[in-house]
Amino acid sequence: MSATTTSEAKGFQPRIVAFVCNWCTYTGADLAGTSRLQMASIVRIIRLPCTGRIDPLFIIKAFERGADGVIVSGCHPADCHYTAGNYHARRRFAVAREIFDFMGIDPRRITFSWVSASEGGKWAEVVNDTTARVRELGPFTAYREMAARTA
Amino acid sequence: MKALQELARKLLEDKTVSVVIGYEEGPHGVRPAFITKPDQADRLIFDPRCVHNLATFLSPRRSHLVTLGKKAVVVKGCDARAVAGLVRETQIKREDVVVIGVRCGGVTGDPMGDGKLTEKNVAPRCAVCDVREPKLADHLVGELPPAPPTPKGPDMVAKLDAMTPEERWAFWQKELERCVRCHACREVCPMCFCERCIADKSMPQWIESSAHPRANLSWQMTRVLHMAGRCVGCGECVRACPANIPLGLILKKVAAVVEERYGYRVSDDPSVPAPIGTYRLDDKQEFIL
Amino acid sequence: MSAKTLTQADLTSLVSDILAADKRVVAPSLVGIGPLEHIEYRPLHKAEDMVLDRGLPKRSIKEMFFPPTEVVFRWKQKKSDVAIDEIPTTFQQTVVIGALPCDAAAPGIVDRVMNWDYRDELWNGRREATTIVAMACDGGDKSCFCTAVGLGPESSKGADLLLTPVKAGYHVDVLTPKGEELVSKYSKRFGEAKSADEAKKYQEAARKKVEGNLSFDAPKMRAWLEGNFENEYWRTIALRCHGCGTCATMCPTCHCFDIVDENEGVLAGERRRNWDTCQTGKFTLHGSGHNPRHDQNARFRQRVTHKFAIYPGKFGEILCTGCGRCQRQCPGGMDLLEILGDIARMAGGAA
Repeated sequence: MSATTTSEAKGFQPRIVAFVCNWCTYTGADLAGTSRLQMASIVRIIRLPCTGRIDPLFIIKAFERGADGVIVSGCHPADCHYTAGNYHARRRFAVAREIFDFMGIDPRRITFSWVSASEGGKWAEVVNDTTARVRELGPFTAYREMAARTA
Repeated sequence: MKALQELARKLLEDKTVSVVIGYEEGPHGVRPAFITKPDQADRLIFDPRCVHNLATFLSPRRSHLVTLGKKAVVVKGCDARAVAGLVRETQIKREDVVVIGVRCGGVTGDPMGDGKLTEKNVAPRCAVCDVREPKLADHLVGELPPAPPTPKGPDMVAKLDAMTPEERWAFWQKELERCVRCHACREVCPMCFCERCIADKSMPQWIESSAHPRANLSWQMTRVLHMAGRCVGCGECVRACPANIPLGLILKKVAAVVEERYGYRVSDDPSVPAPIGTYRLDDKQEFIL
Repeated sequence: MSAKTLTQADLTSLVSDILAADKRVVAPSLVGIGPLEHIEYRPLHKAEDMVLDRGLPKRSIKEMFFPPTEVVFRWKQKKSDVAIDEIPTTFQQTVVIGALPCDAAAPGIVDRVMNWDYRDELWNGRREATTIVAMACDGGDKSCFCTAVGLGPESSKGADLLLTPVKAGYHVDVLTPKGEELVSKYSKRFGEAKSADEAKKYQEAARKKVEGNLSFDAPKMRAWLEGNFENEYWRTIALRCHGCGTCATMCPTCHCFDIVDENEGVLAGERRRNWDTCQTGKFTLHGSGHNPRHDQNARFRQRVTHKFAIYPGKFGEILCTGCGRCQRQCPGGMDLLEILGDIARMAGGAA
């Protein structure tokens, strides 16, 4: 918690959670790291087998627990390790995104991307874009205040 | 009405089914009826007060009805979509239910009212009705009544769409604040057929069971996402809600999204695949980087 | 005790006075949008929000004493020790205005179980902080049966003051020391009683209206329920029941709750109690997978038996005030009046 206080003193550091698939984006993010690409260091990565395993509820849960932004990323179409997980995920997220928006959650807080194992550069871009966008939107105070109001 | 009663009597007499689920006049207005004996068939009625979606009673989750044996069910055109939905999602077998379709001229939201349809009391779903003659029916009864009046009032979904995210947030916060997490919306829903709902799972506790703003939002968002391409728009959840939360708006929105993106309109043809759970290689992905 | 008069304008001023004194006023007021607009008991922001002419609020008064969710305590883990934060059990002084007699009577009935083998501090704290100004009912609709459970549209049970609509505003019966206190504190708002006869007429007419809806002999009904647990009647009682529990949610006397823990991270959390209902399968589901109340028929039998046999047996009072919400609001058309009528006939106690 004390880390938050110090970082807030230095300006707003968004909390961003990334749900990524094991086969493409996670490996891509690894490549970005080993290639020593410059990117924001505030993204917490959660690795899952496939974007098909990423339930929109994960995104809700991340916001519930204080995230300011969320990234969901996996294999490009036709590249899914499980053949079609990303196609299913694509439909699900397309709908989820519009419903989040309808309930008042700014869709700019959520990034969806396809990042392959060889696209370390693209991962760095996704992270930097998202960080900049969320930083501009500011902390997700509305959700956090709502989440804390438990009476 | 006579035709409906005759048909029910026949189905029971020749043992095609062991129960006919229809509507009857109760002490306080119209209510669902479970007719098991041929001589009770003359209790069956159909009029604009018959708002209940009886397809709900076909769901295998209702253990006290499963034991009744083979069922015939009286459906309006809109309710037939729920029967189709249950077949589509392999909850029931089409041949295990006899579908009695009634030609419908719209229903009021109030089974205890006087049954006179007006712009004010006509059920919201009747405004978009295009199935006044159920297609899925094994038997079709009744004359086609005149079309119902069109409900008046602003298009709330369009109104919400025109708002900023902050305004929409404030709107839903105010409405969802009243949710008591009784889950009546789920229990009365014909398409909420999961034996164990994610909201009832506690290890891990995906959705907290308390009625506080955090959990209320998570619950309603999750339910509506699970309803994508499933909701038949019958409005039973809205009718059951003890807090009068406008759940219909979210469900209408999700149906519109699914239709716009995947060309899927809730269908009374069980062979039309569900939009979520299937995919096309060229699905739009303009929102993905 | 004594009687007073209150004009409509004075009632509004009285509410403003109480609000100005930093007390909470709960009264029926409008919530919801468009065709879903309805009245509920809500804390008022201003006196003008009070709506007293739309009959019974959709949900009962119970949530003002027993909220749908509330924190029981908070905990924090410190190394091998756990620190417990108690929750305050004193509450803001509250005046409920316009509770209909079927709602006003309910907390007093539930008091019995909340002070039985354990004194429930949260319930009692709210009860003690609350003064109830009830409003005599005009007799409601065909779903009402308060007179069948020993109450009535004019019943003052559980009320500190009872208002009865008269031409000049309201005739006020002052019933308890709490009521006296309210009247004397805001005495300038109350006038001399002069409409007692008019009030009585209103009450008699209301009673006539509701009396025909249902009546039964309570001891005979209890005896029948106690002796007929396995009766054939129960086997098909709840075919149309969805198990949604709306009856219990709406009910002024249903008071079952679930206890849950909600963690904040791994080292802190809170224990809460949330509304629960015997109408859902999960209520009695065992860890083994066995469910002693295996279907809706068994669950509805429980609801009837608890209200009209178990509770009266334990506490001497029927756990029902006849508000009729469970019938009026049931999406499946379950009808408690019909069921009670059936049982009364079988018990030989139908009037």
